[in-house]
Amino acid sequence: MTEPGPGATPPKGQMSPEDIAEFKRRATELGGRIDEVQAEKQAEIEAQQDKAMRGRGMALGLRMSTELVAAIVVGSLIGYMLDRWLGTAPWLFLVFFLLGFGAGILNVTRSFQRMQDEITRETGGNIGRPVANNDDDD
Amino acid sequence: MPDPIHQFEVKRLVPLDIFGVDATFTNSALFMVLSVVTIVGLLMYATRGRALVPSRLQSIAESLYEFIANMVRDSMGEQGMKFFPLIFTFFLFILTMNMLGMIPGAFTVTSQLAVTAALAILVFITVLVVGFAKNGLGFLKLFVPDGVPIYVLPLVSIIEVISFVSRPLSHSVRLFANMLAGHITLKVFGGFVVMLLSAAGAYKALAPLPLLMATALTALEFLVAFLQAYVFTMLTCMYLNDALHPGH
Repeated sequence: MTEPGPGATPPKGQMSPEDIAEFKRRATELGGRIDEVQAEKQAEIEAQQDKAMRGRGMALGLRMSTELVAAIVVGSLIGYMLDRWLGTAPWLFLVFFLLGFGAGILNVTRSFQRMQDEITRETGGNIGRPVANNDDDD
Repeated sequence: MPDPIHQFEVKRLVPLDIFGVDATFTNSALFMVLSVVTIVGLLMYATRGRALVPSRLQSIAESLYEFIANMVRDSMGEQGMKFFPLIFTFFLFILTMNMLGMIPGAFTVTSQLAVTAALAILVFITVLVVGFAKNGLGFLKLFVPDGVPIYVLPLVSIIEVISFVSRPLSHSVRLFANMLAGHITLKVFGGFVVMLLSAAGAYKALAPLPLLMATALTALEFLVAFLQAYVFTMLTCMYLNDALHPGH
């Protein structure tokens, strides 16, 4: 047995300083790569959620507009028919046009309220933040 | 340019007259029959094995059932399951008609206001009948919200009634307009491709652009076809919930 010099085999169960340095380098590299992959995956998930939310938003927007327009049309129609029946043109038409507008706003507020309740239930009160994906706990 | 409206033309296939009622079998009726046949055939075929470990088709049928059953339970509670057959039928019928309409050359039944209006009026009448049968005059509580001072109550009630009556209109127009607009847009972009290809010289090089757009729109249309069937069914559940519990 020779005395231990640089590069010599260390005693059993220990690592030479070079090995430790090499190991540390590899560990940090691996850590960096894991972070990279995780960031990529996170971005992908967020993009997907964003896309889903946007599709839903569009569907909701279309829904809101029909709600509003339908109520105005029905209101005006009721007013117009009452006018023809009672001969009060155009006053009841105007009144019911405004009432229809009110009903439209009511429809829209209700749908919006419902949507908000739904999102609150899904996100646990964190409206405006992406929904947490708890598939894997890390 | 090809006429984008042409695809919505109702054609008479078999003229039929029953005691003065025009019951002509049209292409619209043909596609309704086709969708019913598709649904019944697929579901019968999917559930023929009734295996404990479902085959692929059987698991599709099962998840369809689960999907609608959960929707019904979420919106109406357990007692809403009475309406499950109606709602399941609505969903499958509309979804299949929308999807059949996506086949090139096929007729989109849901792009006819007469059809969607009939469906929406059916829902509206069901809500009225169930509402009055279940709650009697208590159904009218729907038009009297809680905590409204008496002096504005007439106004609020009129607004609530208009809001209620406007439901079948928005219910039917939403489905109809979405399908109509989507198919017209597709046709217009498809028409652009043909126009550019038949144009002179350098314009030909631009033809892939509308083609790309038409491809993207087709994907969007599939989404819309599903989403509109879902929305129609969802709203049906909500309206029926009002009939069951008019208090809120």
